[in-house]
Amino acid sequence: MQYDGARLSVAYTPGQRRAPFDLPFFLTVVLLLALGVVMVLSASFPRAYYDPGHITGGNGAYYFVRQLFFALAGFGAMLLASRLPMGFYRRYTLPFLLVTLVLLLLVPVVGVKANGSRRWLGVGGLTLQPSELAKLAVILSFAALICRYRSRMHSFRHGVLPFLGILAALVGLLILEPHFSASVILLAVGGAMLFLGGVPIGYFAALGAAAGGGLAVLLTFFPYASSRIVTWRDPFASSSDEGYQIVQSLYSIGSGGLSGLGLGASRQKYLFLPEEHNDFIFSVVCEELGFIGAALIVLLFAMLILRGYWIALHCRERFNCLVCAGITTLLALQVFLNVAVVTNLLPCTGISLPFFSYGGTALLIQLFEMGIVLSASRDVLKTD
Amino acid sequence: MSVSQKTAAPAASAPTRQMLRRILVLMLLFGVGSAALLLARLYRLQIIDHDFYENLAIGQQLREAPGSASRGTIYDAKGRVLAVSASVDNVYLSPAEIEQYGEDRALIAAGLSEILGLDYDELYEKTGRSGSWYVTAARKIEREQADAVRAFKKEHHLRGVRLEPDTKRYYPNSALACHLIGFVGTDNTGLEGIEARYDEALSGTAGRSLRMTNAFGTELLFEQFEDYRPGQDGCDLVTTIDATIQYYVEKRLRQAVEDYDALNGAGAIAMDVNTGAILAMASLGNYDLNDFLAVSPEAQAAVDAAASPEEAQALLAAAQARQWRNKALSDTYEPGSTFKIITLAMALEEGAVGLGDSFYCGGTVNVTGRTKPIRCWKDGGHGSQTLTQAVQHSCNVAFVNIGRRVGAETFYRYCDAFGFLELSDDPDASLTATTGVDLYGESGSIWWSRSVFTAEKNQSQLAAASFGQTFTITPLQLITAVSACVNGGELMQPFVVRQILAPDGTVVSERQPTVRRRVLSEETSATVRAILEQVVGDPNDGTGRNAAVAGYRIGGKTGTSEKVSLEAQTGQKEYIVSFIGFAPADDPQIAILAFLDTPSTKSGVYISGGQMAAPVVGAMMADILPYLGVEPALDEADMALRDAAVPQLVGLSPSEAAQALREAGLDSRSVGGGERVTRQLPAPGAEIAAGSQVILYYDAEPSPGEESLPDLNGMSYREARDALSRLGLFIQTRSPVYDPLRQRVSTQNLAAGTPLGHGSVVEVTLVSEDDSMLGRY
Repeated sequence: MQYDGARLSVAYTPGQRRAPFDLPFFLTVVLLLALGVVMVLSASFPRAYYDPGHITGGNGAYYFVRQLFFALAGFGAMLLASRLPMGFYRRYTLPFLLVTLVLLLLVPVVGVKANGSRRWLGVGGLTLQPSELAKLAVILSFAALICRYRSRMHSFRHGVLPFLGILAALVGLLILEPHFSASVILLAVGGAMLFLGGVPIGYFAALGAAAGGGLAVLLTFFPYASSRIVTWRDPFASSSDEGYQIVQSLYSIGSGGLSGLGLGASRQKYLFLPEEHNDFIFSVVCEELGFIGAALIVLLFAMLILRGYWIALHCRERFNCLVCAGITTLLALQVFLNVAVVTNLLPCTGISLPFFSYGGTALLIQLFEMGIVLSASRDVLKTD
Repeated sequence: MSVSQKTAAPAASAPTRQMLRRILVLMLLFGVGSAALLLARLYRLQIIDHDFYENLAIGQQLREAPGSASRGTIYDAKGRVLAVSASVDNVYLSPAEIEQYGEDRALIAAGLSEILGLDYDELYEKTGRSGSWYVTAARKIEREQADAVRAFKKEHHLRGVRLEPDTKRYYPNSALACHLIGFVGTDNTGLEGIEARYDEALSGTAGRSLRMTNAFGTELLFEQFEDYRPGQDGCDLVTTIDATIQYYVEKRLRQAVEDYDALNGAGAIAMDVNTGAILAMASLGNYDLNDFLAVSPEAQAAVDAAASPEEAQALLAAAQARQWRNKALSDTYEPGSTFKIITLAMALEEGAVGLGDSFYCGGTVNVTGRTKPIRCWKDGGHGSQTLTQAVQHSCNVAFVNIGRRVGAETFYRYCDAFGFLELSDDPDASLTATTGVDLYGESGSIWWSRSVFTAEKNQSQLAAASFGQTFTITPLQLITAVSACVNGGELMQPFVVRQILAPDGTVVSERQPTVRRRVLSEETSATVRAILEQVVGDPNDGTGRNAAVAGYRIGGKTGTSEKVSLEAQTGQKEYIVSFIGFAPADDPQIAILAFLDTPSTKSGVYISGGQMAAPVVGAMMADILPYLGVEPALDEADMALRDAAVPQLVGLSPSEAAQALREAGLDSRSVGGGERVTRQLPAPGAEIAAGSQVILYYDAEPSPGEESLPDLNGMSYREARDALSRLGLFIQTRSPVYDPLRQRVSTQNLAAGTPLGHGSVVEVTLVSEDDSMLGRY
């Protein structure tokens, strides 16, 4: 694979100050991040205090302190990422992809097991989900490949095969863990990238069919996935076992009403709602802040997503455009799937809500991704 | 989008138009479409379905804890407490917290086992059930123990040991009136007797405390929500039970069960004849209400000896059911001759018989439809008798004829009126009825269908029913009907609870005596009373004479019912002997029915109502009538017959001692020679038979030897007194003494042959017994 080294000097000339990054995008991220950290404090406090799982030692602020640390670290990572030139990302796309593959290979071997799945790599006290890295790797490598095959994207050999190869390798490794939700996101993001890259709609339809078939296979061979469909259709039928989580989530969201019970006043977080500081943190948001608060947060995310696409539209470089659009799509997918799951629009699966869900390295990586968008935003066409 | 540079010089590496178009598609899809979808979904859940989810959520977040409505007190008719609730504590463990706070399980188990007297291993095991937040350690412990647990908890800062308030029921009189009062289960719900029947009034409505909790049921951290909805304390009950009368009834009945070895227990009811109020109701064997699960030592021994745990469990359950059964309310029996009161009353009311009629008894009477004639209990018959004599003799032949004169249809109509059965339109239906007393567990009577009873071709049912056989009723039905016969003719509704009082003492409801119907005229009732008084009061002809009490006018009727169906099945002859009496005979206040189920032949006493049950009722009357304030009309002769208390004589001169004894109605004999009495036998205060010889010692000592107690059975009271006197022993009786020459000893409290020191007092039961009295009537 060859990189267009000349572009690097165009994008970044040492000594020359780059344009400032996109302030609306940055502020929206910071605002959502601040809200998220506050909500982690509120949502996680009871579980941390009662400590039924013997993790926190009864320290109510246990999760909050960790989340705050990663939020600050992530903030730094975002600033760092926004300063790195886009050429840097393009140059290191292949090594990054290879490292991700190696880490994913390591997961089944030395990974940390939790809830029947092996998804984490432990380094010291930190844990890392390589699947988070895989998402970024798909975006960067697809963007790079699309730029490389510019005019040949309509051919199967160049427009589909290499991409399918990367996806197959990554998704295959994820399924080994197994990590259903990450696979879905990876496929969706990959699809979106190919869609942007100019794959003919015909191929795209075939690809979609293949993805659908893959999904069917997944549902057939992984019973835990298909039982979730049943639960999704009627969670109240099994409200004490499989449906418990989603039923509790609906209780939380529904009892929030228009204006909510008030920040910190959730009652469902008192150990009724599982994963209340994690995948289901948005349920607590709905309960405490009501429809008004929840809608505002959804709108903030929508603003961020629209701004991300706006930046992509204004990129001068195709690579930058594709990376911005990819990261924004990834963000949009995560937000949509998370909220859709907690409101039972979609079957239950573990997708975290960006900036809100507790999870250190994921937050770090997400903020780094935002930093990449900010970096790209420095190079946009000036509209004035 | 007017991008100047783009239009000027689009670089080769710039995004293609197609790419930009497709980004716009994603923008619409994710930036607008999905956001709108999510907002719509949130709107549906949070605004439209808000109430639905909120209710469900609150349903699981709120814990409702029943508050403490204190259970009402049960009083007897005189305001004495029969049942009362007191605050106690339950001790429970929270093993989850024991584990969470790392509390010492061994310490907890050791401490609690010492304070509560529980098994250490069991407690230790309970402290280890770390998945649970509530494991009961001990229920209903009293204040002293609860304080000790609190101190222990405080000393070691234990969070896993908890107390919660509860109430416990106390029955200050233990077994007294146990079947009437009943008991409550561990959840404080009434299970038997008044406790069960009036559970709603007694328990009130428990207050409820609502508490917002976490999923484990413990409290929230910050937002504490608690709401207490106060309950209403239970109402107090004032019953018709008179604890004193109940005590006398039980005491006499228990003695009779021992004396006559009644194998299936005994029962008794005392009723206010004018109101239907139940003054006492006893059923033996009884049980301690404070420990209602414990069975009698004999039953427990049988349980302990059981071969398998299942058998032991079954035996225990059977023994418990037996002791909880109120025989006076739940057992039905053939009343036998006591029912002749009813036949007599209906015949008089109908004018079928008159006081001047004469009835001939040749020993048997033929009845249409019976192959064998009905025999009178007296072989050879009673000959010619007046109506009064026929009742006094309890003559079956006469009563068969009286029944005939009444007629089967009329007989049944009166049985309906007296509450023994309820006539139905269906002539083939077997008939039944209850009194409707305010207690659970009342059995219904069993009667032949009307078509069988009134059949012209077979009059044996009417004939037998006339003297109380071939149907079964409850003792309560009988005493209620007999009360109607003697109270002026009104059938009263029996009841046990007179008032329901609110916790502040105001009367919530008051039961007025209810007349169910008038059955007899005042005049007929007066005639029945007069005749029945002759059954008890006539020392020559009355078969009920053993129920007589000197100074009181008592009426009544004996009954001896053979368990006919049992004999048909097993060939075994078993009897229920009974007596129903009322007093005063001219203006009745109280009626008492006592029955002994299956007395044993071992006692040596002839098995009949007259010999066994009548003395019991007489003794009850002797205790109860003075308590009711009925003045005895005792003449000098009556007084002279009663047992006397021995005065203090030591230190007196012979003449002074003689004077004191004369005043007491006692005699004396002297031992030794001296100026002053130095010892006396028996000791001062002892009650002994009138005319007994008190032994006075003048500078002498009683001989230390012991005498063997003779068998007094069958001796007259006088003979027994003198026989004992010769041995330096003394006699006393609980029975009313009215004729010491003809009243005979039927039981003695110590077995014959028992060695006794000089001056000992032997207690006996007296009956009037001659050949004319020996019969099953």
